[in-house]
Amino acid sequence: MAIKNVWFITDDLSAIGELAAGARKLGEHVTAVLFSEQDQAKEAIACGADQVYLFKKTEGSFIEGYSKEIAGLIRAEQAGLVMVYSSASGRLIAGRIASQLETSAISNVSDLYIEDDHVVAEHMVYGGLALRKEKALSDTVVLTVGLGVFEANAKDESREGKVTEITGEAENAGIKVIEIRPKQGETVNLKVAKKVVGVGRGFANEEDLKMAEDLASATGAELACSRPIAEGEKWMGKERYVGVSGAVLKPDVYVAIGISGQIQHMVGVNDAKTIVAINKDKNAPIFKQADIGLVGDLYTVLPKITEKLKA
Amino acid sequence: MRIIACFKAVPEEQDIVVEKDRQLNFDKAEWKIGTYDLNAIEAGKQLVEAEGGQLTGLAVGGTALDSSKLKKNILSRGLDDLYLVIDEKAENADTYQTAKLLEASIRKIGEFDLVLCGAGSSDLYAQQTGNQVGELLGVPVINSVNKITPQGDKVIVERVLEDSVQVLEVSLPAVLSVTSEINVPRIPGMKDILAAKKKPVTEFTVEDIGAAYVQPTSLVLSTQAPEQAERKLNILEGDSEETIDEFVKLFNEALK
Ligand SMILES: Cc1cc2nc3c(=O)[nH]c(=O)nc-3n(C[C@H](O)[C@H](O)[C@H](O)COP(=O)(O)OP(=O)(O)OC[C@H]3O[C@@H](n4cnc5c(N)ncnc54)[C@H](O)[C@@H]3O)c2cc1C
Ligand SMILES: Nc1ncnc2c1ncn2[C@@H]1O[C@H](COP(=O)(O)O)[C@@H](O)[C@H]1O
Repeated sequence: MAIKNVWFITDDLSAIGELAAGARKLGEHVTAVLFSEQDQAKEAIACGADQVYLFKKTEGSFIEGYSKEIAGLIRAEQAGLVMVYSSASGRLIAGRIASQLETSAISNVSDLYIEDDHVVAEHMVYGGLALRKEKALSDTVVLTVGLGVFEANAKDESREGKVTEITGEAENAGIKVIEIRPKQGETVNLKVAKKVVGVGRGFANEEDLKMAEDLASATGAELACSRPIAEGEKWMGKERYVGVSGAVLKPDVYVAIGISGQIQHMVGVNDAKTIVAINKDKNAPIFKQADIGLVGDLYTVLPKITEKLKA
Repeated sequence: MRIIACFKAVPEEQDIVVEKDRQLNFDKAEWKIGTYDLNAIEAGKQLVEAEGGQLTGLAVGGTALDSSKLKKNILSRGLDDLYLVIDEKAENADTYQTAKLLEASIRKIGEFDLVLCGAGSSDLYAQQTGNQVGELLGVPVINSVNKITPQGDKVIVERVLEDSVQVLEVSLPAVLSVTSEINVPRIPGMKDILAAKKKPVTEFTVEDIGAAYVQPTSLVLSTQAPEQAERKLNILEGDSEETIDEFVKLFNEALK
């Protein structure tokens, strides 16, 4: 049985296709909540929405301030399921809406289906150690979902739907946007890389990463890292860290150098065809999850390996 | 500034054992403070050091919280006092149940300027408790906060979004969830550990804080480790020329 009313909310337009497809799969009537311009409302309808609420978003507006109003609409129209795109803004909107609706926000759902008239959501717990299946019990189920969970349908430009523009300002008592700075740093798409070299805390200095770069360029691999390298050391951008809270990859080859192989990291590469590990500690957990391993000091072995590979 | 830092007691993830049937075994896992909650405590500590005020620790949970080791550990991180809501009913709470209990606790503790939460709890990593608490308290709430600068009766915060950084002026009281990058939590020294002994600890039950029972919003059907891919486990050891040649040969085959 499908859910009568399914809503999806996204501040990122690139998520419209997938979320609309997911909502269509589970619901009879699909409502989209978007924050921007008319064009995207059309796109949401072509992707599967029957109805769009379009909230105003200007440079410097704090769209989370619409949370209460959105919750009011959800309540009035008795949505059974609300899927929110899990960007930082999306997460805040989801939590605020969930509190308004007196329920939890089930987070980062990796699979979603209906069983015995209830929504069942799957998501990782204990840092990726386990997958939890939860049957949602509330009248309105609120959850956050990222990309890659649903597959977008082909657009049907002939679909028709109702668009309601909400022109009121967001309710932002106590919050003022002073400035928006574009984030510097490159964008990488690790997901498309066939070969990935990942570095971890086994590297003692930032300069030493050069050795990993050399290996990556010798093998045509993209460079990635563990979370501490991106967040603690800040030697690489956040978009390069792999794992349960970072990027989840499916490369042909993943080379982990100076990475211990904690579950939170390995969840991101479990689907790699081949895992290669270099670590000086033969008891490191990575060696229980590798196809090819070398127990050795990366400072000694890595330059030699790169040289031999180039030869 | 009156600051309340929220933390959760979680089982040490490195000591959770996956059984043959892919069930989790927690027998060897000691309870510790959530990794990313330490950033919230450190952020609070830095603000109090700079501005003066008081830093309170707050956790709700089951009887695991009633551990002298855990209490000593948390107090040695520079808290002025600690509030624990220990109740079997708070065990395995979902984010709404937790948020309701935290809301009631915070109202019971009294006046505050800032409630700080971590980026996510080490077990659920829902990244939602702070958002839900803020909405329940009816005060400004921001997540993904990477910098906090006090400015009179307001704070200026930097919030990291996917492709930009928002600079926000937030009036107090407010609830902020910080990132794990906002600081590097300090390791308690001997002095901190000794000082911890003198800090007051208040323990409440759910009845004490006057929180009504909230139904769980979901029923857990199963919690099971994902199936692991079979790996070849071809592990070589040493840095002799032959070993490296052998490794490079295997590596080269995989690269093809
Ligand atoms: C809720 C939660 C979410 C998390 N999410 C992620 C995530 O998404 N991604 C992630 O990566 N982590 C994540 N973590 C952190 C994770 O638990 C680990 O702390 C992290 O992955 C460890 O990184 P590492 O392997 O680089 O460092 P370490 O664990 O410190 O390992 C360093 C390794 O390098 C080896 N080494 C040292 N020197 C040398 C040398 N000279 N030559 C060769 N080897 C050497 C050591 O033997 C060791 O095995 C998360 C944690 C939590 C609690
Ligand atoms: N039971 C709890 N007691 C106190 N604080 C909590 C509790 N659960 C979560 N938090 C706080 O909320 C943050 C986010 O948790 P979560 O929403 O579970 O990912 C954590 O980093 C803590 O700061």
